[in-house]
Amino acid sequence: MTIITVTTGGTVPVRTIEFLTDPVLRGYYWPGVLAGLAVAALAAPLSVLVVLRRLAFIGQGVSHAAFGGVGVALALGAVGMTAAAVEPGRTGIILAFCVLSAYAIAWLGERSRVARPDTAIGIVLVASMAIGFVLHRYAAERARAGGQPAPPGLEDVLFGGVLGVGWFDAGVAGAVAVGVLVTLAWVRRDLVFWAFEPTAAEAFGVAVARVRNLVMILLAVAIVVGMQLAGVVLVTAMLVLPGAIALRLSARLWGVLAWAWASAILGVGAGLVLSFELDQQPGPMIVLAMTVMFGAASVAGGRLCGRKAIGTRH
Amino acid sequence: MSEAAPAVRYRGVSYTYPEGAGDGSRSPAPAVERITLDVRAGERLGILGPNGGGKSTLLKLTLGLLKPDAGEVEVCGRSALSARRAGLVGYVPQRAEAGFDFPLSVRQVVEQGVSRGASAWRRLPAGARAQVDAAMELVGIAELAERPIGSLSGGQRQRAMIARAVAGEPRVLLLDEPTVGVDVEGQQRFGVLLERLASRGLTVVVVTHDLRTVAGGCDRVACLRRTLHAHVHPRGLTPEVLAEVFAHDVEAAFGPVHVEAHLEADCPGPHTHTHDHHHSDHGGDGARAHD
Repeated sequence: MTIITVTTGGTVPVRTIEFLTDPVLRGYYWPGVLAGLAVAALAAPLSVLVVLRRLAFIGQGVSHAAFGGVGVALALGAVGMTAAAVEPGRTGIILAFCVLSAYAIAWLGERSRVARPDTAIGIVLVASMAIGFVLHRYAAERARAGGQPAPPGLEDVLFGGVLGVGWFDAGVAGAVAVGVLVTLAWVRRDLVFWAFEPTAAEAFGVAVARVRNLVMILLAVAIVVGMQLAGVVLVTAMLVLPGAIALRLSARLWGVLAWAWASAILGVGAGLVLSFELDQQPGPMIVLAMTVMFGAASVAGGRLCGRKAIGTRH
Repeated sequence: MSEAAPAVRYRGVSYTYPEGAGDGSRSPAPAVERITLDVRAGERLGILGPNGGGKSTLLKLTLGLLKPDAGEVEVCGRSALSARRAGLVGYVPQRAEAGFDFPLSVRQVVEQGVSRGASAWRRLPAGARAQVDAAMELVGIAELAERPIGSLSGGQRQRAMIARAVAGEPRVLLLDEPTVGVDVEGQQRFGVLLERLASRGLTVVVVTHDLRTVAGGCDRVACLRRTLHAHVHPRGLTPEVLAEVFAHDVEAAFGPVHVEAHLEADCPGPHTHTHDHHHSDHGGDGARAHD
């Protein structure tokens, strides 16, 4: 099947092996692959937490906030703030926007009780998307009027792209993965207690507000690092599906973590191969690969353990 | 009974949730009001009351998670918060809060009770691990230690939660609705277990709306519906007392009832009760669910 698309610059797609071994092409594709594996490694344990603590929807809210962050960074770059147009600054702006959105959700839904918690997520989610679209268009118009290069296309921002990931991004993803994993290991006892029983954890002396804030920040970090590859819309899949798969396959903490890592890395790997072979954006391919794995795990998990699926039972 | 200092002492304790907090209700009515009660060291006290009667609020006040608007709560002679921070209070939460689909073994759950401040990079210290083993032995779940918490029966889970609460060797044990979802046999074992804990000098406070829990496992019962209405020996829970305490539950189910019972303090002593709310309007009380 030969599909010609805009994203690969009108070239005829070649097989994965060629992408990764060709002396010219490999420089374009390896950073995306390595960044993807780093994101998988850091997203896997977080996804277990997301599923167990039922944070999937808030994760969705924070990831869509990243789109607002992209818009803000592009607009600031367009009006001449160079720090917002180059790499560390852009990522910082997106991360800040995500964290602020997480706080906005918490403030609207819990502290001020202006809205119910899930309503607060819904509002912040669509508002960020709207801001992102408006500012993206503004930046694109300004770039065209000024004869500047166009900002990254909406499709890449929303659904990801391997070619947008450079060596700098891959390095950042690797460093962030190490940082997130060390942090998770460091606070694991409080984290697990909080996820298991928030009220009891508080009564036993766990600083639950601090733990929750930390989890929100780690989620925002994972989203910002993962969004270039998987896109804003689909990055939360990496923060839900590995955990959901793993919880069908094991009832042990270490078993669940091992399955989560395995399925995240396998899912990202398979998704990237599919995206190369079928000339699709990597985001949807990663999501589809993981969804198929979830189906398989549901069937296998039922046979394996002879019990009702863990993670869906109340 | 020895007249040692009370393990828990409530002195005119009142608490009103800030407007709209907790459950979305806008009622400014107090959740608990003028609670005065001594819990003697080594006694098993049941606090019996309907849903929304302030039981969980009283528990949170006893844990120092809420601060009373008026009055004070003392645990082992110190403030509720500092007693809990010092590990003097063990807590068994209501069953519904726990995620029993969680991939944890029974041992990992019990370890939560002793892992405060433990290093993240090492195993739990040997002393803490010994406490965990002893607690599981005490409640009779030692042989289940490596099983996933989700594979246990309701009664076994409850004993695991009690083991977690007593692993840190507290002086006071608070239990919130401990027998919800526990079968008859489990309830009997629960009564025996409470007796064993109390015989080791632990003060036990059970908060429940389940009569069988207090009848089977408590020395004394305090009836709570916003204020304390009576506290008696379990056998003193006459139909009149119960009708009074659960009047709102009865009315919600069957329509208005008229309870003419006049409650007196059934156990004379230094404990004073507030009876002046008997015939006042408790409108909205039943709708407030702070539990």
